[in-house]
Amino acid sequence: MRLPRIFRTTPFRLTLLFLALFASAASAFLAYIYVATAGEATRRTDQEITREMRSLTGAYERAGVDAVNQSLIERAASERPFLYLLMTKAGKRISGSIEESPVEKFSGPPTWTTFQVVDQAAGGGQVRHPARGLQERLAGGEILFVGADVGEDEAYVVKIVRALWGAGGLVIVLGLACGVLFSRNVTRSIAGLTAVVDAVRNGDLGARAHVRGARDEFDELAEGVNEMLDRLERSMAGHKHAGDAIAHDLRSPLTRLRARLEAAYLDVEAGRGDPTEALAQALTDTDGVLKTFGAVLSIARLQAAGAAPDPALFDPAELAADISELYEPLCEDKGIDFASEFTRDLQLRGNREFLAQALANILDNAVKYTPAGGAIMLRVRRRSSGEVEFSVTDTGPGVPDEDRARVVERFVRLENSRNEPGAGLGLSLVAAVAEAHGGRLQLDEGPGKVGEMGPGLRVALILPRAA
Amino acid sequence: MRILIVEDDLEAAEAMARGLTEAGHECARAADGEAGLTAARDGEFDVMIIDRMMPKMDGVTLVETIRREGDQTPVLFLSALGEVGDRVAGLQAGGDDYLVKPYAFAELSARVEALARRRETGSVQTLLRVGELEMDLIGRSVSRQGKEIDLQPREFQLLEFMMRHAGQSVTRTMLLEKVWEYHFDPQTNVIDVHISRLRSKIDKGFDRPMLQTVRGAGYRLDA
Repeated sequence: MRLPRIFRTTPFRLTLLFLALFASAASAFLAYIYVATAGEATRRTDQEITREMRSLTGAYERAGVDAVNQSLIERAASERPFLYLLMTKAGKRISGSIEESPVEKFSGPPTWTTFQVVDQAAGGGQVRHPARGLQERLAGGEILFVGADVGEDEAYVVKIVRALWGAGGLVIVLGLACGVLFSRNVTRSIAGLTAVVDAVRNGDLGARAHVRGARDEFDELAEGVNEMLDRLERSMAGHKHAGDAIAHDLRSPLTRLRARLEAAYLDVEAGRGDPTEALAQALTDTDGVLKTFGAVLSIARLQAAGAAPDPALFDPAELAADISELYEPLCEDKGIDFASEFTRDLQLRGNREFLAQALANILDNAVKYTPAGGAIMLRVRRRSSGEVEFSVTDTGPGVPDEDRARVVERFVRLENSRNEPGAGLGLSLVAAVAEAHGGRLQLDEGPGKVGEMGPGLRVALILPRAA
Repeated sequence: MRILIVEDDLEAAEAMARGLTEAGHECARAADGEAGLTAARDGEFDVMIIDRMMPKMDGVTLVETIRREGDQTPVLFLSALGEVGDRVAGLQAGGDDYLVKPYAFAELSARVEALARRRETGSVQTLLRVGELEMDLIGRSVSRQGKEIDLQPREFQLLEFMMRHAGQSVTRTMLLEKVWEYHFDPQTNVIDVHISRLRSKIDKGFDRPMLQTVRGAGYRLDA
């Protein structure tokens, strides 16, 4: 048999545990109260009985059994609440307020007993009262019993015990009720998260937990889960896109390669012509495929690592100068005016190799798309926010506003650049490098349209300042 | 020269051995790390080509072992792992060069030649001479037929590398790695432009070009 769901929740179990602890503490407390009240009443009765017994034995020692007898008669008249019985050595009743001793086996030493007395009730019937008494042998051998009706004490104790049980029951009932309420509350808060987890497990990455706005730990958890899912979804989408894109981008060159090899094979088989050119082209195609593959791998690794490997502290201007030196002759060769402007003494923490590659990729693009007579400017500066910014501005055709976000995505090449070589991964890698360094890639319009030139593109790689 | 190939991909090893033998080298092969270690201990080799990931003993352990034993034979690591960290680990283990798979045979061959050459020129030189070309490493000056040639610092480094590997094919990737110390592939022909600048300085106005383009491989400086 399974317990209802609510009883299986952690909060409910915790409640039970606390309830048990509380109940033990309460029992100890109640036991103390019982001892201090009911126990005290019994003790007081016993003391009174003992005092009465001493007083009677005192009378016996002073004046013998007749004095005791006399005292009993006097006391019976004064309606003291004691019960008496004076007996001979053999246990035969001499006098007293009860007919026979409630002590069944009496061997000599003082003996306490608890018994019941029958009384005439106000309505006529008989009422039994609990009573307690002490029996002793007197010096002359007679036996004396002194008892007391403890009915009132007992009723008082019963009330106390009943109150204690009631209080205990109330504690347990209230505790359980609180536990159920508390559990239901927590369960409801967690149910939302559980539903999200179930949805994600069933493949719905779009599920998000409801943030109630209470700013408590459940909200924090929900926000954390949502953020994690956002990242996961982006990453999954990225991987899926990469998978599709790799399939797409590798399939076309591989198809070309296969066709070329097949044609060469048929030519050779038929004894026609020289297959050298086809083979050379096939090699070039293979290299292209491998390059694409390598770029995809680099991006994937950067994204998987989430951080730049082997970061070091260095001067960004120095890196930019190095890369400028590599690209300047290329620009000159193409008739492009290359200029640079570096703010010195900045500090950057990152992977120099990846950042160099990112800059090289940006410059590759700029050189590729800037026509002869154009200009390229490489700048390193500190933004007012303290971030370090590498920017490359060219006077090429630029990228239309609506396409700027898209060109950073993997494998996206705008229609008019289809004829240019390159796998379309350049800026994606730059974006991945930027992200791995906690920075970003920003594309803006260049210097604007001047005659045939422009409007140009400004690509900025913005990295956080070295901590 | 004698080359040891330690590579578990038998087809790749076969192709490598065939190419190197055709280029006039003598090749020995081992198909796993342990066999490679035995071969390296037994034979005298000029260069060892060692795959990083192999059964029984990986390439890094193999190289660390022979280096500990005092064997200083130049080692070229081959690896499918191309990240910066992987390369650094390979070089720290005692490798002299690192080539990421897949590679063009010309690249492999050029690097093997370069490694063997490096061993020959053990002593510290202050003057490099290749045919009519002279380079003073201390005075930082270059001349051809006694005529002073003015070079930018990077052109000087580029020419120094070409002169140290005179007569050998040197690939663009090698130049980018050894002269610029970058380990990525630029999309554009940046290296070609630098070479053509250097060529215009050392060959222009002389009867015979020294800096040759090797089709499908890279460049070669001939005496």
